[in-house]
Amino acid sequence: MVSQNELIREARENGMDLFPLDKDTYELFFGPQHMATENFSIILKMDGHRVVKAIANPGFLHRGFEKLAEYRPWHTNIALLLRICVPEPDVPEAIYSMAVDEIIGWEVPERAQWIRTTVLEMARVSAYLFWIMGLSFKLGVYTAGQWAAAYRERLMALFEQLTGARVYHIYTIPGGVRRDIPGDKWLRQLKDTVEYIRSKLPDFDNLVFENYVAHRRLEGIGVMDKKFALAEGVTGPNLRATGVPYDVRMADPYLLYPELDFEVPVLKEGDALARALIRRFELEQDLYILDQLLEMGPPSGPYKVEDPRLKNLPRFKVPAGDAFAHVESTKGDFGAYVVSDGKHKPYRVQIRGPSIAHGVRILEQLLVGARIADVPVILMSLDNCPPDIDR
Amino acid sequence: MGEVKWEREQMLVDKILEKAPYAEGKVRRERRIEFSIPADRIRDFLMLLKENDFELMLQITTVDWPNDGELELIYQMWSVTHRTHAMVRTRIPRDLDKARIPTVKDIYPVAETYERDSHDFFGVYFEGNEKMEMPWILDDTEQGLFPHRKDFDMLTYVKKKYKLLDRFDEDKDNYVI
Repeated sequence: MVSQNELIREARENGMDLFPLDKDTYELFFGPQHMATENFSIILKMDGHRVVKAIANPGFLHRGFEKLAEYRPWHTNIALLLRICVPEPDVPEAIYSMAVDEIIGWEVPERAQWIRTTVLEMARVSAYLFWIMGLSFKLGVYTAGQWAAAYRERLMALFEQLTGARVYHIYTIPGGVRRDIPGDKWLRQLKDTVEYIRSKLPDFDNLVFENYVAHRRLEGIGVMDKKFALAEGVTGPNLRATGVPYDVRMADPYLLYPELDFEVPVLKEGDALARALIRRFELEQDLYILDQLLEMGPPSGPYKVEDPRLKNLPRFKVPAGDAFAHVESTKGDFGAYVVSDGKHKPYRVQIRGPSIAHGVRILEQLLVGARIADVPVILMSLDNCPPDIDR
Repeated sequence: MGEVKWEREQMLVDKILEKAPYAEGKVRRERRIEFSIPADRIRDFLMLLKENDFELMLQITTVDWPNDGELELIYQMWSVTHRTHAMVRTRIPRDLDKARIPTVKDIYPVAETYERDSHDFFGVYFEGNEKMEMPWILDDTEQGLFPHRKDFDMLTYVKKKYKLLDRFDEDKDNYVI
């Protein structure tokens, strides 16, 4: 344990004024109802306003998704598993469907691949906007947060036209997608939305990403290096902020990504600011990918495989076997491992939530020495999605 | 034909098997390889994988096979260098006192979390992981029930815990909760 005198000396060296407290350390339960922790609970051991020790305390969202999935027919699991990560519900749908496709040996039609790729990218843009909202609120820049929420609303409306639901889409199914895109009008609206969001990015830069106050709050906190991040299994923007150019879309290409042109932004500082900037750059790349997809246009053909097994969904069976599929989500490498024993329900489904790596052990280590005001900022810069951990 | 098509993966498997004669390995498809090893060699094998640039541990999956009396542990590894996913399968006995396997948290620190998960839900004891006894996701009343095992009776548990929710019919052939 760091002694109090050391903490005070360190704080003074950093230009902060601290009252020398004579009391012992105290325990602070942070979350799960605290709005800054997003349904996650951390037990903090505090000395003054410094964190001495942090213990991640998950379990408040646990609903046993994996066990429930063993009791449901293959197709109804989509409606269950997408609830794992609310800001980005299309990702669990996609990985589960891709794993089932692989077990059956289905080649998804081109049109379905185009739609799936577009939906995944729309989900990424919407999740990044959601994240900007969270970060802005935690930094106190409420204006930017409200803008981000409003722009995300445009994507929600498009999702509603496409899938019939705003948040829980239940759209990607094994073999393709549930229904076809509504028509050219929808594509035009998507194009307008992409342009609109891109035109608003400089505003976010001015208010958050190039803001002096935001830089002071983000720079140099929660630093991790490349080797440490890899050993701890960190993926996604958090890993790329430490200098490892690992992106599932590039490393293990799926859907239409091999045909698309995009960059994987990499920074090497590994602090909260680098993680925030990586996400800002990726948002731009995702909009660029959507541009290319819209330019390409949806290929003609069926939007799901034509297979007699799809006619009777409750009795739909999948041959025995297992498969692992993963995609790049805004949180990192999101994977699903599915085992079938040939019956009409899965034998075992395990979801690999990316947050389990950076939301438990990494968080416990990065929080040590941070100020209490930095705790929500570090949590947000890691982009922790608690249901990934609880499942 | 498969070997010609996935030459890079086959070379990787051969290279690893050369140093691990106790293991069996094969190529599943492009960028997917698979090994099965005896449970007591898990540490040696994962150390070998780490030397061969498998930097990331994606997860540890536990699958219950009550008919065989075994639990299957699948260590899912990803190599950023080789761009390949490796599944390392091993089987251990299902009995609670025999379901033990050495921890790998000193090789891949992230394994600690997955091992706690597997301990909570399947009752696998990872020797050397000091956080085994620490409470994880389940409530105190649920400790020791191992809800992900196939013989865990979820219906009885749900009826007992949520007395008001008496809507499940046992005679129904194919209920969906």
